[in-house]
Amino acid sequence: MSERATIRPVEVSTPQAKPAAPAAPSTTTTTQAPTIAVEELRAFYGRAEQLKGIDVELPANQVTAIIGPSGCGKSTLVRCINRMHEEVPGAHAEGRVLLDGRNLYDPAVDVTAVRRVIGMVFQKPNPFPTMSIFDNVAAGRRLTAGRRAGMREKVERALRGAGLWEEVHERLSEPGMGLSGGQQQRLCIARSLAVEPDAILMDEPCSALDPIATLKIEELIAELKRTVTIVIVTHNMQQAARVADRTVFMLDGRLVEVGPTKQIFTNPHDPRTEEYVTGKFG
Amino acid sequence: MSEDRLARLALSGRRKFKDRAVRGAMLGATVVALVPLVLILYYLVHKGLSAWSASFFTTDPTGQSFFANKGVGGIRSALLGTIVMVALASAIAVPVGIGVALWLVEYGKDSWLAKVVRFFVDVLTGVPSILFGLFIYIVLIVGTGTSFAGYKGSLALALLMLPIVTRSAEVVLLLVPDALRESALALGAPRWRMVARVVLPTARAGLVTGSLLAVARAAGETAPLLFTAAFTYKTSFNLGGFMNSLPVQIFNDVTSPTEALVNRAWGAALALVVLVLLLNLSARLISRTGRVA
Repeated sequence: MSERATIRPVEVSTPQAKPAAPAAPSTTTTTQAPTIAVEELRAFYGRAEQLKGIDVELPANQVTAIIGPSGCGKSTLVRCINRMHEEVPGAHAEGRVLLDGRNLYDPAVDVTAVRRVIGMVFQKPNPFPTMSIFDNVAAGRRLTAGRRAGMREKVERALRGAGLWEEVHERLSEPGMGLSGGQQQRLCIARSLAVEPDAILMDEPCSALDPIATLKIEELIAELKRTVTIVIVTHNMQQAARVADRTVFMLDGRLVEVGPTKQIFTNPHDPRTEEYVTGKFG
Repeated sequence: MSEDRLARLALSGRRKFKDRAVRGAMLGATVVALVPLVLILYYLVHKGLSAWSASFFTTDPTGQSFFANKGVGGIRSALLGTIVMVALASAIAVPVGIGVALWLVEYGKDSWLAKVVRFFVDVLTGVPSILFGLFIYIVLIVGTGTSFAGYKGSLALALLMLPIVTRSAEVVLLLVPDALRESALALGAPRWRMVARVVLPTARAGLVTGSLLAVARAAGETAPLLFTAAFTYKTSFNLGGFMNSLPVQIFNDVTSPTEALVNRAWGAALALVVLVLLLNLSARLISRTGRVA
């Protein structure tokens, strides 16, 4: 894919992010991203218990894929990590999510700060319909009252980070909804990158995209893990095998097995994992 | 064989006849409903246009002209009074109504308080408009021992508009996809900023449309103004004093025995219909540019 050439590394994350030259040639900068540890996490919708105690570590600068059949709690798990789960009326979570040791569920932690540090990309591309391409990317900062200075550079850096700059830099003032589905999804990734998160959660980011657009997002994920920790929920086991360093298999609200992706797919320890990855159910 | 089946499955003559009869009945009902509509518009244009002249819009109405039966004047004070009072009423009802709707959709949701508010908004929507006038009359005129005033008319109109604005705004806000709210929150936006920067701009056209329809409704109301803003001949921009309005002037003129005044009422009625039509048209045009609704 010639797309590769347009993807350039970005420097995001760390609170003291150094101002990188926006058009920096492909260096191989790696920024230390945080490790996320989930401990005894239980999540509820009303009285129904959707996650029944999850313990898992999501290592820094790695891509962790979460797989499992529909309704097993994959999405709920990632939505608990940046505390979006509690936005659902009647939903709540118990337990701990540690970001480099800091418990995100500590009452002293501000929920908006959690979401600025841990970004999220949703299943369906959802650019803000009233905003231009530029404004969509800038929205993250404007919505969070980030400093306005140097917005153009930050937008360019985020769009380059999402591998979209070359395709849109001549029409930044056009509406974001005018882009193709795959471009819209990369616009949404750029929007999260503009907030300079330390980790990004992706909830089936490619399930509404065609194979070419999917491939671009997967290449992007491989690029992004140099600077952020990535968690990706996917229904597509080939995708998990392609992008993930580690894979988590879930079933019925519980974690069945976690390990290096290769081991999960070639030599699973649990028979249920084997049945799932070989397509016997799910 | 297959030809046989086709023949057997064909509609019987009886059913064909029924179909035609029912279709005919529906067409008839439509025509019956259209007749009065067309007649009203025809009469209005026919009678109203003959009252119109350049000076009709630029002169104030004069008093009863039993003796000097010429020069009854126009509708300037009524037209301007309606515009001023409805503008003040909108300035009150539109922000408050949209505010209530925002609270219902973004914060209240299914809480008991939101349900109570929704119930009362529904009740208010069905209240006859004369009751709003009566309420203001009792509270602000009898209650305070003061006289009629334009702003009291505006308040009565604002009360009338409030539930309409709230209801239409709530419907439009509910149409804003939750995915947009979620992605704004997931960026770390505080709730109020998500509402201000994502929800309101997305719903803008629909909110404007709903508000304009409420404005059009208020512009045509007589009852809330009859004993709040009263009636006067002179053009006045003093909201603290008596104010004329199109519906009230029509009400007064049309009950007069003088033919010239009745004609003036027809002219004023046509002007009012054109005003409301323009408001409705702009509401339609704006809603066409909308993201939702």
